[in-house]
Amino acid sequence: MLKSGPSSGELGGSAPVAAARAGLEVANAQIFYDSHVEAVRDISFAVPPGQIVCLLGSNGAGKSTTLKAISGILFPEKGMLVSGSITYDGRRIDRVEADEVVRGGVVLVPEGRRLFINLTVEENLLVGGISRSAADRRAQLERVYDQFPELPEHRHRISGYLSGGQQQMVAIGRALMSNPTLLMLDEPSLGLAPKIVDSIFEAIVQLRSNDMSVLLVEQNAHLALSVADFGYVMERGRIVFDGSANDLMESPEIQEFYLGMNASKQRKSLRHVKHYKRRKRWLS
Amino acid sequence: MSYFWTLLIYGVLVGALYGLVAIAFALIYKVSRVINFAQGEMMMLVAYIAYSIALVTDGNLYIQIATIIAASVVIGAIIERVIVRPMLGRSTFSIVMLTIALAVFVRAFVGLFWDTDSHRYPIAVGGEMVSIFGVTFLVSQLVLLAIFFATCIGLWAFLKYTIAGIAMRATASDPAVTMLMGISVKRLYSIAWVISAVISGMAGVLYANIYHVGPSIGSIGTRAFPAAILGGLDSVLGAGIGGIIIGVVENLAGGYIGSGYKEIAGFVVVLIVLMFRPYGLFGERQIERV
Ligand SMILES: Nc1ncnc2c1ncn2[C@@H]1O[C@H](COP(=O)(O)OP(=O)(O)O)[C@@H](O)[C@H]1O
Ligand SMILES: [Mg+2]
Repeated sequence: MLKSGPSSGELGGSAPVAAARAGLEVANAQIFYDSHVEAVRDISFAVPPGQIVCLLGSNGAGKSTTLKAISGILFPEKGMLVSGSITYDGRRIDRVEADEVVRGGVVLVPEGRRLFINLTVEENLLVGGISRSAADRRAQLERVYDQFPELPEHRHRISGYLSGGQQQMVAIGRALMSNPTLLMLDEPSLGLAPKIVDSIFEAIVQLRSNDMSVLLVEQNAHLALSVADFGYVMERGRIVFDGSANDLMESPEIQEFYLGMNASKQRKSLRHVKHYKRRKRWLS
Repeated sequence: MSYFWTLLIYGVLVGALYGLVAIAFALIYKVSRVINFAQGEMMMLVAYIAYSIALVTDGNLYIQIATIIAASVVIGAIIERVIVRPMLGRSTFSIVMLTIALAVFVRAFVGLFWDTDSHRYPIAVGGEMVSIFGVTFLVSQLVLLAIFFATCIGLWAFLKYTIAGIAMRATASDPAVTMLMGISVKRLYSIAWVISAVISGMAGVLYANIYHVGPSIGSIGTRAFPAAILGGLDSVLGAGIGGIIIGVVENLAGGYIGSGYKEIAGFVVVLIVLMFRPYGLFGERQIERV
């Protein structure tokens, strides 16, 4: 049987006195697009400090929508958090502007990388550090170059001409430029060769520290669970499973429908989702 | 100096004026994809304000410069705050429509508050004549040329080396993602509007200084717009060069074919160039995503 979700205290292990670092808490979030498309129904989850938490689920489950809501960039797509709350380190961030979320330490590497493709690698990185002072930005730039040793030689190249793997490094590096305490990644493995994906995931694991937690959205469940501490599975706007990465890895349902899945199994998982929702409901 | 060279040099001088206004168009377009059809009217408004101040300060140069900058900054910031910002997230088309309405409003306001006649500009400097290589210039025409080059170089350096400038280029490339970087898009828009207002404001006063103060200043916007298209609307330097080209072409056409052809010559060049380069001479073509 799967364990129920963590409270940040339970998993963080540290004393609840350190209230300044409560991590990310999403509570009963419901998200609509265009006033009538319910993309996220009622989800609650937490990313405690220093942890890698993954959010799994097939296409259209609502993962990207959830990340956009946290980042505060739903409005250009007419999306809205209609109920529930998002807090980071105890502070509500669901009613503040996107730039304030970044200054608060939460940053998103968007799906498909989305580099500023006409800008050079270094310019992309500098823009990522715009919320910081010029001196901090320079120092952070060197740290990012240390983290991704492949990048310095390309610093003056137009980023649009880099390979997919290099672009993903720039995208992650650009996010790191704001010196975040929570790094959110939306499908970082998408469209990359397995070898490159491995190196990207190695970098992600190295990034995790006491000061930095990671919220990882992936369709590739095996990959994500292999680096994560805790996982949630979303289907059709709801969380249908959650548990420690090990528990999820061993759960028969997850094994059947999310691990080593092929195209037909993926479809099957969607058809059977109602069945799962009856069996396991998160906060009903 | 031969007839051709004289036409060419005067064309460059007119072109520098178009170029400044075209740069103002391009900067706003670059960050927000909005074409500000009130750019010419904004420059007219600044010119009229500077004119009134010049009348009561005996054309003192330093007061003039301070007036131009202060009036432009205030006008740019107010328009961005009142007209553009409330419309953020709406289609750029509706913002463009609002700038057209603004143009009509400013023209009417200037007509009511001042008048619709032309006046000599009462500034104490710049009216002297100098002769270089046998061509005679007004000092203020040389000042215009110097300001044009200084603006081009200054803006180029701003966009290339300052973090605000890099952020503006980033916004031009992917506005949704700039928000993710912690960039306040609102702030970038207001910076762009203020810089544009200052550039076109300077151009307005320089025009007034060389020719006269009058409602015709507003129509410089219409003449400069094809220059911005020619250079590539999202290329700030290209817009400046586009201005020079239009100025020269207009003057050569006027001199060799007839004054009647002056105004359409620029448009003809734009049409021909766009047939071969739809993004303009220096416009950025998007790189395909890998
Ligand atoms: N801009 C949008 N407007 C309307 N519906 C959207 C929009 N973006 C996503 N959706 C819908 O919301 C649901 C969740 O999408 P998304 O969050 O992108 O899923 P995931 O990232 O898990 O693949 C899907 O049904 C999708 O069609
Ligand atoms: Mg997605």
